[in-house]
Amino acid sequence: MDRRGFIKLTAITGTSATLASCGSPENQLIRFIPDEDLTPGIAEQKPGVCPLCGAGCGTTVRVMQGDTEVVRNGQAGVVTVGLAKKLEGNPTHPVNQGALCPRGQAAIQVTYHPERITQPHKWRGARGSGDFQPITWDEAIGELVSHLDTLALGKQASLACWTRPGASTRHDLFALFLARFGAPPPTSFALFSDDVLRRANLMSFGREQLPTFDLGSSRYVIAFGADFLGTWNSPVAQSAAYGRMRQGRPGIRGAFVQVEPRMSLTGASADEWVPIRPGTEGVLALGLAHVILRDKLRPADAGGRAGALIDGWSRGLADYTPAAVEQRTGVKAVRVERLARELAEQRPSVAIIGGAPLAQTNGLFQALAVNALNALLGSVDTAGGVSFMPQAEPAAATSPAPRPLRVVAAGILADRSPVQVLLLDNVNPVFATPQEWHVRDAVLKVPFVVSFGNFVDDTSVLAHLILPDHSFLESWTDARPEAGAHVALATLAGPAMKPLHQTRATPDVLLDVAKRLKQPFKPEFPWQSFDQMLQATVGEDNFATATAQGWVELKGKVQQAQAAPSRSQAAPARDAQFDGDPAQYPFYLLPFASQAFLDGSLAHLPWLQEMPDPLSTAMWSTWVEVNPQTAARLGIGDGDIVEIASGHGNLQAPAVLSPGTAPDVIAMPVGQGHETFTRYASGRGANPVKLLAPALEPETGALAWASTRVKVSRVASPDGRLIRFGGSMTEPTAHR
Amino acid sequence: MPHRWGMAVDLDRCTGCEACVVACHAENNIKTVGDAQAARGRAMHWIRVERYWDGEFPDVRLKFRPVLCQQCDAAPCEPVCPTFASHHTDEGLNAQIYNRCIGTRYCANACPYNVRFFNFFNPTWEKPLHLQLNPDVSVREVGVMEKCTFCIQRIKATEQQVEAENRSLKDGELKPACVQSCAPMALVFGDLNDPESQVSRLSRSGRGERLLEDVGTQPKVVYLKHQAQA
Amino acid sequence: MTKADRNITEDLLRPLLTTSWRFYALVLVLFSIVLLGVGSFGYQVYNGIGVWGLNWPVFWAFDITNFVFWIGISHAGTLISAILRLVNAGWRRPVTRCAEVITAFALMIGAMFPIVHLGRPWLFFWLMPYPSEREIWPNFRSPLVWDFFAISTYLTGSLLFLYLPTIPDFALVRDKTTGFRSKVYGALALGWRGTTRQWHRLESAMQIMAIAIIPVAVSVHTIVSFDFSMAPVPMWHSTIFGPYFVAGAIFSGIAALIIAMAALRKFLHLEQYLHPVHFENLGKLLLMMCLLWGYFVFAERLTTWYGNEASEMAVFWATQQQNFAPLYWTMITCNFIIPLTILSFKKLRTISGCVVASCTVVVGMWLERFLIIVPSLSHKYLPYSWGSYRPRTPEVLLLIATFGAMGLLYTLFSKFVPIISIWELKVGEQPELTEPHETPDEAATLWRTHP
Ligand SMILES: Nc1nc2c(c(=O)[nH]1)N[C@H]1C(S)=C(S)[C@@H](COP(=O)(O)OP(=O)(O)OC[C@H]3O[C@@H](n4cnc5c(=O)[nH]c(N)nc54)[C@H](O)[C@@H]3O)O[C@H]1N2
Ligand SMILES: Nc1nc2c(c(=O)[nH]1)N[C@H]1C(S)=C(S)[C@@H](COP(=O)(O)OP(=O)(O)OC[C@H]3O[C@@H](n4cnc5c(=O)[nH]c(N)nc54)[C@H](O)[C@@H]3O)O[C@H]1N2
Ligand code: SF4
Ligand code: SF4
Ligand code: SF4
Ligand code: SF4
Ligand code: SF4
Repeated sequence: MDRRGFIKLTAITGTSATLASCGSPENQLIRFIPDEDLTPGIAEQKPGVCPLCGAGCGTTVRVMQGDTEVVRNGQAGVVTVGLAKKLEGNPTHPVNQGALCPRGQAAIQVTYHPERITQPHKWRGARGSGDFQPITWDEAIGELVSHLDTLALGKQASLACWTRPGASTRHDLFALFLARFGAPPPTSFALFSDDVLRRANLMSFGREQLPTFDLGSSRYVIAFGADFLGTWNSPVAQSAAYGRMRQGRPGIRGAFVQVEPRMSLTGASADEWVPIRPGTEGVLALGLAHVILRDKLRPADAGGRAGALIDGWSRGLADYTPAAVEQRTGVKAVRVERLARELAEQRPSVAIIGGAPLAQTNGLFQALAVNALNALLGSVDTAGGVSFMPQAEPAAATSPAPRPLRVVAAGILADRSPVQVLLLDNVNPVFATPQEWHVRDAVLKVPFVVSFGNFVDDTSVLAHLILPDHSFLESWTDARPEAGAHVALATLAGPAMKPLHQTRATPDVLLDVAKRLKQPFKPEFPWQSFDQMLQATVGEDNFATATAQGWVELKGKVQQAQAAPSRSQAAPARDAQFDGDPAQYPFYLLPFASQAFLDGSLAHLPWLQEMPDPLSTAMWSTWVEVNPQTAARLGIGDGDIVEIASGHGNLQAPAVLSPGTAPDVIAMPVGQGHETFTRYASGRGANPVKLLAPALEPETGALAWASTRVKVSRVASPDGRLIRFGGSMTEPTAHR
Repeated sequence: MPHRWGMAVDLDRCTGCEACVVACHAENNIKTVGDAQAARGRAMHWIRVERYWDGEFPDVRLKFRPVLCQQCDAAPCEPVCPTFASHHTDEGLNAQIYNRCIGTRYCANACPYNVRFFNFFNPTWEKPLHLQLNPDVSVREVGVMEKCTFCIQRIKATEQQVEAENRSLKDGELKPACVQSCAPMALVFGDLNDPESQVSRLSRSGRGERLLEDVGTQPKVVYLKHQAQA
Repeated sequence: MTKADRNITEDLLRPLLTTSWRFYALVLVLFSIVLLGVGSFGYQVYNGIGVWGLNWPVFWAFDITNFVFWIGISHAGTLISAILRLVNAGWRRPVTRCAEVITAFALMIGAMFPIVHLGRPWLFFWLMPYPSEREIWPNFRSPLVWDFFAISTYLTGSLLFLYLPTIPDFALVRDKTTGFRSKVYGALALGWRGTTRQWHRLESAMQIMAIAIIPVAVSVHTIVSFDFSMAPVPMWHSTIFGPYFVAGAIFSGIAALIIAMAALRKFLHLEQYLHPVHFENLGKLLLMMCLLWGYFVFAERLTTWYGNEASEMAVFWATQQQNFAPLYWTMITCNFIIPLTILSFKKLRTISGCVVASCTVVVGMWLERFLIIVPSLSHKYLPYSWGSYRPRTPEVLLLIATFGAMGLLYTLFSKFVPIISIWELKVGEQPELTEPHETPDEAATLWRTHP
């Protein structure tokens, strides 16, 4: 700078200091400062499929060039490749309509996770020690083939596969593969399975699937325990519809009532939050129906088939007077009357049930009750009501029916049906089943366990052989959502990037194995690779559409409603049974799906670990929600370490005093407490599933995970285990 | 006329799902600090979803409120910055030049909304998580302040594209990451200088109020009140 | 040359001329403490400032507390000595230099913190206006830049103010020593010969400096208070902060001075020169500042409470009743109750009484600064973003090191420079000689004190 420039600048500086109060002359100074001078890189948008839950949302993957270190055939080097950078919701996708849930946003970390398994591994040392030895793909596939070759073909029990729920061509391929061995289809397992609701919908409406809600047109919504804005069913689709229900129609704002004993993320948004005694949600639903029938607000025959399944429907549900309902549910009779009237008058109205009410020993009855209420309200298959998404016919025959995981495990342990080879496809039942199911022992007893997952988790650590899959961004993926839209569709996408590691797409591995067997399949699979299979499944034209836009409508393949069941098959009205003596175990244990980790399957993603829980604001930790009055009575302070014990196990975790938890309920998120699940999740927090009684919903055999009683005691002062982002719980308004 | 970017947050639509929080991390190379640092209060969330409890069981309510940089027109974080690292752009944004920041943290103290976050340590990404980093966004080093930029990289990219195609920007065409991810469409972004843009129309809504308006910051984020049931 | 003069010279030059093992031991101890602080700073620079306990949203704590505290302590000296000089308080004579030295060193220590506390301290010079080849200037609207100007002005002024009246003493030492030392002191004496012209110049320079330094000192702590009051933070954004900070600064400054004088009196055996009456007078001053400080706190608290503004009340109750209450009431005890009790009674206003009161005031004033900063930041507006703060070892070490540094610098200074102004004391002993003498000879008899 020369002297003149210096003087000039000094002058500007002086002036700007004087003028600082009038305008922003300092902006003239800072033009000398390099701005964040960025030249945006060139990005390519490719379609993708979110693999994290059954909702089957479509994504767009932003792909940009980047350098990565690779090892190929033992040689290290740096190559420039297209790398996925960001996932967005696919704006054209009928389910998620351009948005993603927080988990979908974090899905990209599955691909770049530092502890992804990078090549095949073979077990060594003690089972479960996590000691694996890298091997080549040839060795690995050879090993699997040799074990499969020893199987006695046609012996049902000898081959089994455990996978996650959700229809997809990948699932179909597993089923076909197993069928060639005469084995039943893969066992789908999820802790928060909705099998009870599927069964109820089959009975009430002839559709064995999860419901779709047209909330955008609803005037009044009542939800029983369903966390439909957070974790349940198709949360992105439901949230989008919720936004429209609230503020999407000029002059109309839909009202929303949530019935649950512990305020969920969804309940937090309700206009009216109705705490209820656990296991009595169905009673309240029928109480509402009773008032509607009694006051002739809706015609009784509107209940149709769903109503007919309920005992006493034709007699106007005489047992469900508001007074009786108040007695059983704890919801005041006047409130029952008012809610019933609002439901009947502010139509279209709809009732939703999901989550804990279905995980009671009377879950099916509760679901049937809500179904009947919907039918009575005239809200089935109507605008603003509940409907069922048309479904494509499954490619594979589903007979025989898949066996529940509990049954398979029991069979193994009892030597009744010894499984010789167990295939694990991204499922972690050792973490997510009650201790009394002894799933870990069962897996340990299987002579040969193969895992296709990307990570070593509590279950796959027991495997003999790990054949790591590509990540969803590196391979062909598809999903056939069962809810969340109004057309039958497949979400389908090709690889968005080249594989980072020496992994192989599991469907391709299956196709390869099929060819290498000593006795190859006859007729052999007609596809050379998985994308060929996808193409054949959806059809040539559809495939082209799907690969371009990330999804395709599957026309003309709509599943027909099934025949009505007989009355005798309906679930009798039954009170929920809870495990544990109320005197000894005074609290209902309410495990709930965590907004970050769902059932725990996402606890390995650092973004989700650091995402504050919406209610507790906890990060990297677990907690137990205790009502403040209960806590005061038990001498429990916020953050104190408490011990929760059921008749089946006990654990310690920090307490969060939560005004939205009923005084007789102890609520705890599922998700943490993994023994083995990468450096981010291992040994962190506690797992409430290990407290659960092995109680079942008797009609469906589903785990009644909300039917355990517990006791609570304070064991220690806060020890830093609970990490919270938020400060104060409340916002003071006025002081005076 | 230059753009004047603003945002509307419809509290009646927001479900508190936190998709926006993770989306912002993914877009803006925000580091994950880990459990030990999070316990020390160093977690960084450019957008956070505040939750407030109200009342006692059973008459208990819960409110969510997403809070990000309010892009104040009279931003207290700007005059206090000795190096102009925190400054105002022609488009009315409160911008941050990481290279200029020497880490006095004065701006963060002056910001009434506590939306500025400090790099107490150098960021690390355990390989290969670093391959996800967005090349359009600088990675911030130790000792530097950072905060929501309204996704300036997306603004610039879209403006450049619009200019190259010689057309004007369509309302809703430009979405920051949080806005894009929000399923109930609680977040609306746009040009406040365009009176017809959705964000302008929502800003004029009777439900609209500005956060801590009495502090005099003149925020460009407007909150649409949760509507009580009629 | 009177006998008294000779004693003064001998007593006050003794520390310069003889060195006991105790001196080395003390220096070693203090130096180690300083080294700990330097090590802690190095550790912090190497790892990142995350080694401190700072967090979101408490971005300032010990760092800026130390800054404000030491800048406050610095007000002991120059300001007090300037006022006492201007009102020509006779009892000031043995006190002024002790006080001025505190100013110089406290300022140096305090002024380090705006650099030490930076996230990227190696870029500290961006706070200063320098002719950058990129033509980038600091933001003159930032109070941190004002701090830079205020503190550098004050430091320059205070050093001059300390140096000027030391010139005749340097000359004295020059004449009392030989060889290398004599040369060094000779250089520092700037050719002082004690001529009438020199005396006149010194007198008028002192007069000008004494007048000029008072507004500078007042402005410095006002500007330091602006670091807070310019930001819209609850209980920071207050018009009272300027005078409140200045009063607090003088308060803590006097306390520091009393402690320093008591230490000098004991260790350098200056009982003959630092009399109980000096402590008694300073004690009265301290009492006055104590009452003034109490008044400011009362005024600040009352208006906040009465105004009942929600965001301010959150901070108010946090200090008054909630998590910061123990510290707050300790501060009130240290700054008000104890000094008021001790200093109100003539019987208790002894040297040890004054020292006890001063020690609690120093602690209390450090707490005061801490309690201005941390509760406000941890309870700023939106309650979801509230937080808390716990210091960690590196910042505690830094705090301890500042006291070590003060002790070390003070010890070394009193080793190399007469800590009591010899010529002023002599002038005080012979009131008739207050006016400079007409002839160089007379002056020479006074200042050339060959035995
Ligand atoms: N994100 C980001 N943006 C920046 C900067 C930054 O650091 N980060 N830095 C800024 C700065 S300081 C600068 S100087 C600019 C530089 O910006 P540009 O001038 O765009 O610099 P380059 O991209 O290095 O090169 C420009 C093109 O010149 C081509 N080229 C190379 N040799 C020749 C030749 O002999 N003849 C011709 N005709 N073409 C040739 C190259 O292939 C390249 O396509 O970028 C600015 N923008
Ligand atoms: N491989 C390769 N090398 C290149 C180029 C290339 O294209 N490829 N491009 C070349 C070109 S065109 C350029 S311009 C150079 C750019 O090279 P550099 O001049 O090194 O550019 P920056 O990386 O922007 O570094 C500027 C530094 O200044 C600091 N800074 C910011 N504000 C101030 C301030 O007020 N005062 C001071 N003193 N420092 C400040 C920042 O913290 C940063 O450390 O790189 C050249 N080198
Ligand atoms: S709901 Fe979330 S996790 Fe499930 S598929 Fe959609 S984006 Fe993925
Ligand atoms: S993504 Fe939207 S709905 Fe979800 S928390 Fe953020 S603003 Fe609210
Ligand atoms: S919200 Fe805070 S950081 Fe953003 S412009 Fe306003 S003062 Fe600055
Ligand atoms: S921390 Fe950085 S941006 Fe903030 S005031 Fe200091 S230099 Fe400016
Ligand atoms: S606008 Fe961009 S930077 Fe700001 S919170 Fe949203 S995603 Fe983050």
